[in-house]
Amino acid sequence: MKNSFRRFLILALNHAIFLLFVAVLLVFSLLSPKFFTTGNLANLLVQSSSTAVVGVGMTFVLLTAGVDLSVGAIMFVAAAVAGKLVLLGAPLPAVLIAIVGVGLASGLVNALLVTRLGILAFIATLATLYVGRGFGLWLTQTRAMNLPDSFLTLGTTKLAGIPLPLLIAAFVVALAHLTLTRTPFGRQIYAVGNNLDGAKKAGLNTGRVLASAYVLSGLCAAIGGILSLAQLGAVSPTFGTNREFTAIAAAVLGGTSLFGGRGGVFPGTVLGAVLIQSVENGLVILNADPYLYPLVTASIIFLAVLLDSTRSRLLAHWSRRRVFVEKTI
Amino acid sequence: MNHQAPYINRRSLAQPVLTALRSEYLVLFLCLLLFSALAPFTEGLASGNNFKNLLGNLAPLLVVAVGQTLVLIVGGIDLSVTSTIALTSVVGAFAMNGDDGWLKGSPAATPVAVMTMLGLGSLVGLGNGVAVTKLKMPAFIVTLTTMMFLSGLAIWMTKSKPLYNLPSSFTALGSQLWLALPIAAALAGLAHLLLTRSLFGRWLRAVGFNSRTANVSGVPVDAVIIAAYVACGLLAAAASVLYTARLETGSPVLGQRILLDVIGATVIGGTSLFGGKGKVLWTLFGVLFLSLLDNALNLLGLSHFTIMMVKGGVILLAALLDAARTRWLAA
Amino acid sequence: MTPLLQFEAVEKSFFGVRVVKQVSFKVGQGRILGLVGENGAGKSTLMNLLGGNLQPDVGSMQFNGNIFAPKSPGNARDAGIGFVHQELNLFPNLSIAENLFLTDFPVNGPFIRRGVLQQRAAALLKQVGLDLPPVTPVEHLSTGERQLVEIAHALSFDARLIILDEPTTSLSTRESERLFSLMRQLRSDGRSIIYISHALGDILRLSDDVVVLRDGEVVGDFSAAGLDQSKLVSLMVGRELKQLFPTRKPASAGDGTNEPSSLMDVRGISQAGVARDISFTLHRGEVLGISGLMGAGRTELARILFGLDPHELGTIKVEGLELTGSPKRRIQERMAFLTESRREDGLCLEASIADNMALVTLPSHARTPLRLLDFTRMREALGKIREAVRLQSKLNDGQAVKTLSGGNQQKVVLAKWLLAEPRILILDEPTRGIDVGAKSEIYQLIHELADKGAGVLVISSELEELTGICDRIMVMSAGKITGEFASVEFDRERILNAALPA
Repeated sequence: MKNSFRRFLILALNHAIFLLFVAVLLVFSLLSPKFFTTGNLANLLVQSSSTAVVGVGMTFVLLTAGVDLSVGAIMFVAAAVAGKLVLLGAPLPAVLIAIVGVGLASGLVNALLVTRLGILAFIATLATLYVGRGFGLWLTQTRAMNLPDSFLTLGTTKLAGIPLPLLIAAFVVALAHLTLTRTPFGRQIYAVGNNLDGAKKAGLNTGRVLASAYVLSGLCAAIGGILSLAQLGAVSPTFGTNREFTAIAAAVLGGTSLFGGRGGVFPGTVLGAVLIQSVENGLVILNADPYLYPLVTASIIFLAVLLDSTRSRLLAHWSRRRVFVEKTI
Repeated sequence: MNHQAPYINRRSLAQPVLTALRSEYLVLFLCLLLFSALAPFTEGLASGNNFKNLLGNLAPLLVVAVGQTLVLIVGGIDLSVTSTIALTSVVGAFAMNGDDGWLKGSPAATPVAVMTMLGLGSLVGLGNGVAVTKLKMPAFIVTLTTMMFLSGLAIWMTKSKPLYNLPSSFTALGSQLWLALPIAAALAGLAHLLLTRSLFGRWLRAVGFNSRTANVSGVPVDAVIIAAYVACGLLAAAASVLYTARLETGSPVLGQRILLDVIGATVIGGTSLFGGKGKVLWTLFGVLFLSLLDNALNLLGLSHFTIMMVKGGVILLAALLDAARTRWLAA
Repeated sequence: MTPLLQFEAVEKSFFGVRVVKQVSFKVGQGRILGLVGENGAGKSTLMNLLGGNLQPDVGSMQFNGNIFAPKSPGNARDAGIGFVHQELNLFPNLSIAENLFLTDFPVNGPFIRRGVLQQRAAALLKQVGLDLPPVTPVEHLSTGERQLVEIAHALSFDARLIILDEPTTSLSTRESERLFSLMRQLRSDGRSIIYISHALGDILRLSDDVVVLRDGEVVGDFSAAGLDQSKLVSLMVGRELKQLFPTRKPASAGDGTNEPSSLMDVRGISQAGVARDISFTLHRGEVLGISGLMGAGRTELARILFGLDPHELGTIKVEGLELTGSPKRRIQERMAFLTESRREDGLCLEASIADNMALVTLPSHARTPLRLLDFTRMREALGKIREAVRLQSKLNDGQAVKTLSGGNQQKVVLAKWLLAEPRILILDEPTRGIDVGAKSEIYQLIHELADKGAGVLVISSELEELTGICDRIMVMSAGKITGEFASVEFDRERILNAALPA
């Protein structure tokens, strides 16, 4: 009756992301036999590793009810720095340290702007987006940088049969998930995202919690940038553009609320990242008109947010306080 | 009495600074400051030709920014304005261009094309508004996806190729300053009038401040929000007319670079991102400042990415100013 | 025995205005101190000083025999002072246990020790008598239950002094009683409590000692025995308030006849889970009260009447005309609705007094085309209504409403509605969080409105208030009307009985 219909609807909406995912897989599998092969699916996972990692960092920030629009630019700068160092012949450890440094430093800048200077996250990270992109363009002198093949092998190296990028991504996701669910800091992020003033009153060092979220986002962006670079093999002037949107989309698709306090990285953001990637992957396999890609991606994101908004609206409506409980006959 | 002297000095210094910071005309002062600081070093900044150039850039930017201001006041945001500009540019060009336009050669080409552009912009605004109000989706994401979609649409429609050969009656609108400026001024003036003196303006602010209160008090909240987005789309289309006319090209990437400027101008001007507060005058000053900055830096020969970094820095300063104004100087 | 807490000649000024003047009083060990005073008397400032949010300019505090000068809420907490604020400070998206130990998780390296966390939480919940699993997300709890969690939080750091600020405003009678017995138990454990409230009856029942503040000074410091409400009120107000409640003339239709005529006729209103077959009539010139426990469905009914929420069955007729549609339609029919929470949906806090007051009646000043506003007429109307509600003259029309006290804010909301000259007013908790002086003025306004022929529906959780100002009282319980009393029959016990679940 009415009740069981409601329950079904909620179940559907709660797991809409899974359903969407299955739907997308089904559609592409039906449209092309090349899609649902182990080779392609494995490929898919590797391709989504970079989005997943950046998305994880974004999730931390979104959970605090903030946003980090500069992650694409951070990816760019990290890739540019790494590229330059590799071309100069620097040893791998140095390159890694430099990347981590770029990520942490960028994150720290964002953190200071948002927590110390009290600038709205949206504006602060929009500004650092432009500053960062400008800086990256200066570093590369607006020219593409091609990396030697030795670097590309990083993208294809396998440890225990699993591609390296996937391992790195899995490691980042696992660490993030543990942090969010099992550490005090992680729980405090949820509190801060739900009610910043309340968190302050409760005695939380909100400045530190917020700052950490942005620093982590910067770090993840840098790591994601390298993962992306390892697969592309080159840094073009448009490297990392619009990646902040895919990161936000991955998180939101995965159930993280833009208003803070709700969401998670596993399965959440990871699933969102794979979903976005599978759409692009599928379109490529179908030899679809490349001009259609942004149209399809935008529609999927719209659909996901619509489902999310509908779900929270219905839930709020149905769980409104009942003055009395009806007796069912 | 010596130890008191520094105290007195500090206070008498703080006062004019505080008044200046609180002033509405702060950004205007900054414009003048910027101009006088850079003019001696920047060749051509103070020339008549340059002024015309500056004003030509300023007019369409002002129109877009005013639309954005309306949406910000009602508590939303519209990130799709730049791709609205691109799409309407392309559609208008399709209609009126001399090569294979639908209305090629017809005297009705220009007016019909302009009407189509404006109508399309309003439609986009309607879509955004409905998604935000009836579907209850966050404005941020909705307009973001609209942006991606429309931009993709424009590029797909033209296969990335710009459209030339637009009728001269059209291009005059943008390239003739004596046409473009009054158009922009009229639109801004109309918006100002609506905001300050009309029922709609008050309703906009009320909804922006607290939509629940507005709802209980009888304000048609959804209709007001949709109207703001429609106005924003319409104004973006109007700006597109000016831009397209100026460039004499229907371009699918038109406006791509100005999102930074639009947001920057409104923020620098002082419109609150939280809703309720905003003025056309503030946005005018913000647009003036940003255009001047852009102009000067270009003349100074700075590379495109350096200008990007500078603008980013300016926005930061503006946001800092805004934060300072609200938190430490709450009157 | 040394007092647990002592204020000694404490002073605090803001922008040169002394807000707390030479305040000295003590809180004994194992005692409940009731702290009363009008809004603006200095209670919140004192508590902010105690809580380390502010520091005194002059004077000192002593806690547990030592000088106590907290610089942050953390300091107060470490000393053993726990606050339970009116605005509860819990995180609904986290569990009870996580809320209790948010700054204080039991850890093993970087990780939370979940078993220990649940155990400790369960122990605290037992102490406050809340029988719920600690993993329950707080968003599933009622206000009363959340408050108990807040108290459990204070107990988690073994607070010796607990301050409760207006705790009963959102509680049902049953939840209030549960709170009171918990307070007595805490007292017998040797803890002390500062109880801040406008509910003077509760203050007298609970407290061992009472301190009265007025204009930043202590004007009364007694043991509770022998005190009565009128003494407290007169101390708080500083002038003999002849009566809190103006005398009520019998309901008149305002048209000379003595037959009260029907203004609003409500028949059979039902909505799943919210209202059950509600029927009543509101007459012209009548003040009709709606009493009942918190959660009985009164606000829900009000929202249905005003068109904010739908109803499946039933009709609402105003002078024979059936009402449907949105609030806008109701306003056209000259109905007004003062909501329960002015900060949430009664005011635009950042906007000015003038803007707030003009909000409902804006369309009446708009001229086509373009609907431009007639500012002169607006200003006139605003000026008149300011006088009518007796808004403090020192307040500037352009001032942001968020800077006003609760009483003045409520007056702004009232002014907003009165400008529309409503003939039916629905007032939901019109005097909540308002000082005694402003309350009395609002009662007077209500009577003036009724005398002019309007019908006023007053929802309130303060029974004394309802019996004081209403002509009739309806009682609701669990979505139904369970009783109706005319003023001659006002009997608090019977009314309360009707409100209790069957």
